[in-house]
Amino acid sequence: MARPIPAWLAPTSLEEALELRARYGEEAIVVAGGTFVGILINQGLLQPAALLALRRVRELAYLRVEDANAAGRPLLRIGAMTTHRALERSPLVQRGWPVLASTFALVASPRVRNQATVGGVLADADYASDPPALLHALGASVVARSPQGQRLIPVEELIVGHYETSLRPDELLTEIQVPGGLEGAVYRKFRSRSSEDRPCVAVAAVRREGRLRIAVGAVAERPQYFPEICALAAGQPTIEPELAREIGERYAAAIDPLSDARGSAHYRRRVIAVEVRRALEDLNRIIAARGGSQSHA
Amino acid sequence: MAAMEIHFTLNGQPVTVQAEPDEMLLEVLRRELGLRSVRETCGLGICGACTALLNGQPISTCILLAPLAEGCEITTVEGLGGRHPVQRAFEEVQAFQCGYCTPGMILTIKALLEEQPEPDEETIRRALGGNLCRCGCYLKIIQAAQRAAALLAEERQRQPQPGPASIS
Repeated sequence: MARPIPAWLAPTSLEEALELRARYGEEAIVVAGGTFVGILINQGLLQPAALLALRRVRELAYLRVEDANAAGRPLLRIGAMTTHRALERSPLVQRGWPVLASTFALVASPRVRNQATVGGVLADADYASDPPALLHALGASVVARSPQGQRLIPVEELIVGHYETSLRPDELLTEIQVPGGLEGAVYRKFRSRSSEDRPCVAVAAVRREGRLRIAVGAVAERPQYFPEICALAAGQPTIEPELAREIGERYAAAIDPLSDARGSAHYRRRVIAVEVRRALEDLNRIIAARGGSQSHA
Repeated sequence: MAAMEIHFTLNGQPVTVQAEPDEMLLEVLRRELGLRSVRETCGLGICGACTALLNGQPISTCILLAPLAEGCEITTVEGLGGRHPVQRAFEEVQAFQCGYCTPGMILTIKALLEEQPEPDEETIRRALGGNLCRCGCYLKIIQAAQRAAALLAEERQRQPQPGPASIS
């Protein structure tokens, strides 16, 4: 039986890419780095009518920092086609957002990081990827563009379910914006199998302007964030051990974890309580040592 | 849609190949160009047996859509000539048993040493984290990487360098 051969669409400008995206809609699968699309095609899970490749849209690969805005925060702007490797190795990112550099360096292997892009990993909305939980905790947003214009979507509203985003079929994710002004940030990746594996439980904890924000990744269809639990730490420069344990236990109770090859729901719930507590202990240390940030392998 | 033409540089030579848009570079390198050093095992970008260098950086050809190679420089182990210091180090240390994973290991180490000529063991282990060897020759492979770094350093000393090691 003849296999349907997809059309290969390779625009060289954003304008052309947006026009093709609007014309083909869901008919065309958007290809950024192509690692996820490659896996799906290899497994026979995807037979697209068309592939819309953004690699030649050079204007989508950049890293820029905007100086402090009215709220006193600088803003990191990441072009959607920036690879994981480019982000992890950027002196700009290493200086201003070290937690981003060190967390992207924990994703898969150097090979995958040479291909995979920051826009791609968010648009895939895979529950087991590292970056979504961190970007969620950092209060990052994405720019969605269509021929009609653009809108800014917070990461927490972008990822709505398993491999599901709130992007419309005529929109392309073109930029990721990460505000600065961090007092401290930490990402803990708990792996239950090998070092190159995806997380069993991932915890991102960020403190900015006295507010704590914890997002737990890889345990449910989207990153898990509970503002009312985080509010328990409001205004406390150091989170006391009692409170760190309580926040961990409350997160574990609030999340309904999934089971997969990396751990059962029961196991994950136990690990969430411990890893959230440890993330807060790390955050205390980082802030005490003067607001740096780090990732733990 | 029919098959398309893809143009890239393979081991220093310009090539044009026929491929379908949803084929992976791995299939094209093997079928169209007869390269047998790139090998499919997992098809998921995990094992490293299909490693090639794209503009000097290791990638998984099993999950790289072939048309994405358009205009790029692709290097496989066939392009190293057989006497490359990393290849000599693997021979000297005998850092293999069956040899199936060896091309991917060699290319990954070559790219690492171009960026970091004197990596410590931890750095080598991290760089090789995505390359699996089912014979379990890891200790020898790490030794080979260290030996290759020494051979490359000797080479640099013999010929005063023209500048920083190029990435591509």
